[in-house]
Amino acid sequence: MKLIKKFLVMQLSLLMAICLSACSSGGGSSAEDPTAKTVKIGVLVSDTTSAEALSFRSYYENYIKSVYNVDFMYSDELKDAAAEQSAIDNFIANNCQAIISFASADRPAQIEKCETEGIYYAVATGTLTDEQYEQFKSYKYYVGAIGPDLAIEYQAGYDMAKFYLDQGYTKFGMFTGASVYFTEMHIYRAAGMIAAMCEAGNGDYEGAKGMDIVGKIMSEGGNVNTGKIGSVELNGVVAGYDFDDAWFGKLAAVANDPNVEVLLAVGSGQTAFAGFKPEGKMLGDIDCYTADSVGLMKAGTLNYLAGKFSASIGPIFAATLSAVYGKPIRTADGNAFALSQGYWIATDAETAEKYFEVDSSTTAPAYTKEKLDTLIGASYDDFAKFVSAYSFEDIQK
Amino acid sequence: MEKGKKILSAAALPVIVLAVCLLITSVNGITLFDSQLSWITFTRAAVNVLLVTYALSINLNSGRFDFSIGSTALLSSVISAMIATKYNLSPVLMLMISVVTGGLLGLLSGFVYVTVKLPPIIVSLAMALFYEGMAFTLTGGHGVSFASNAALMEFGTIPNFLIIAAIAAVMMIAVFDHTKFGYEYKALVSGQKVAVNTGIREVPNALICYLIAGLLMGAQGFISATSNGSITMSLNFGSISPMFMAFLPMFVGGFIGRFINDKFGYLLGAVCSALISLVYVRMNAASSTQQIVSALLMVSFLIYLNNEGKLKHLLKRS
Repeated sequence: MKLIKKFLVMQLSLLMAICLSACSSGGGSSAEDPTAKTVKIGVLVSDTTSAEALSFRSYYENYIKSVYNVDFMYSDELKDAAAEQSAIDNFIANNCQAIISFASADRPAQIEKCETEGIYYAVATGTLTDEQYEQFKSYKYYVGAIGPDLAIEYQAGYDMAKFYLDQGYTKFGMFTGASVYFTEMHIYRAAGMIAAMCEAGNGDYEGAKGMDIVGKIMSEGGNVNTGKIGSVELNGVVAGYDFDDAWFGKLAAVANDPNVEVLLAVGSGQTAFAGFKPEGKMLGDIDCYTADSVGLMKAGTLNYLAGKFSASIGPIFAATLSAVYGKPIRTADGNAFALSQGYWIATDAETAEKYFEVDSSTTAPAYTKEKLDTLIGASYDDFAKFVSAYSFEDIQK
Repeated sequence: MEKGKKILSAAALPVIVLAVCLLITSVNGITLFDSQLSWITFTRAAVNVLLVTYALSINLNSGRFDFSIGSTALLSSVISAMIATKYNLSPVLMLMISVVTGGLLGLLSGFVYVTVKLPPIIVSLAMALFYEGMAFTLTGGHGVSFASNAALMEFGTIPNFLIIAAIAAVMMIAVFDHTKFGYEYKALVSGQKVAVNTGIREVPNALICYLIAGLLMGAQGFISATSNGSITMSLNFGSISPMFMAFLPMFVGGFIGRFINDKFGYLLGAVCSALISLVYVRMNAASSTQQIVSALLMVSFLIYLNNEGKLKHLLKRS
């Protein structure tokens, strides 16, 4: 009997030891492996209906979420700074560990709030101004920003206008979108277009050339004026997003103006001009790749498209996740990064279709998990090198 | 008042508006109607405003503020455009689908209103959100684009716009001025309690009102969509704004309606509104200028209407 008791005690002790060891090794593993726990990320958005916003969301929801242990929580369409603050409060209440922001009503306030609350914050498809960067670069919870900076926006407008100027076109019409609401992105794109006209026409825009045109447009309340720019003519300009009869009438008037050969849009050109444009006139737009834009290129309605690609928001996601995992990517002097990324440009339907195919893929997008994994815990130099190689060809390599 | 004098009084305001518009443009060295495009712009704006004004006035005159008319136009145009582009239908068929869909959506709004018995403002806001959400979901948020579909884009001609306007005006006059429903509607507008006590059933009357408003907004959605070849999505009440373009012509129409049939009054109000729109187009007025001028015009007109008696009294004394 004693022997049996001893045997049972030994068996139980052994079992207990095995259980404790298993528990301890299991607990240790979950604590050490940050990928085991779902990371909740809040996404601040100021636009929920544009093709660009939808394609960004689709990349996160249909691809990133399926390959990473993350969950995204989206804000409503944010129109002002107060709404942004309220959305951040909501994210915090829902235990979000990081925020990726597409909203820019008051970025400094967003960064300050996230720093105070101890929640990681990153800027997608945009950048901070130099002054803002200097102010916030050392913040512990500020991850960084990736997006077309204003110089790239200017260049995008310049390249598009130059594309047509090089072909000998000299009479232009423009849609300047939100320039009248002082949206810098649109002002810089418009300024780039006019700068190209100044160069080709050997003239100036109301006394301004190059980057000075930005200041000129700003001083005119975001309005671009028609007129001669040397030998080039800017014969029609429409701004704003009124969507009323007068707005559509103005767009139709510019699109049908016999003194306009080329229509240039800082964005939404397909909505603004495509329906009114007579055959034979050229249309260039800065937007994103959608089935509709590819269709318009095939039909010859749209001839030039500089588009953001939806997976361009992959690296900022990877950097944010890396920070949550305790491996923040910082510059050599320990600051948050500020990196720029540009557009994919298509001037024919075949190229546009090729870009769209990759861009809209939910299984093999431009930035796959395999590529993004190399960024988690990467050095700043490797990360910056990866982000800067954004052309379609570079990414395909 | 004599018939001739009534017609002259009714025509006075549109003539004055036209004269002012011509004066403003000529002073600036611009011709108001310089090309066929100006006429198309003017006609399209007039028909758009007319349809929204009719649709808004039907329920507003009965004390029902319907915020869902814009979203009815949005969703009906989305459904009709998706079907038309998928099956390569003609613009006339697309118009018919849009009108029928608009009617059904209007009827649904009315059904919800008479069923839940909440204030119409609340119900219409809820329906606006619902229809916006439906349109967004149906298109995956991308809207519908058919700018390269030549057949659908060729619909936007002056005769086509005029035919739609004529059908809408004839339908409105026939239904509201020459049917039992129309007389009951007027009785309910004048005094609902008395009308109900006389045996008029307000629920079927309200449902028909919503149905007709929906039909009109279906047509308006079609015109908007085929004008620029794309339908952009709206969320969070973004579809409400088209409703506001109908206020000035509604007030103007109400004023002119003293002299002639109020449906013609709304038509002339829409013409005035379209003339002002054309001035904005021809002068390439900034959006901010447009908003300020439009607001000033509406407020001035309301001030005039509220103080008309005093003004007449002052004029008589002087």
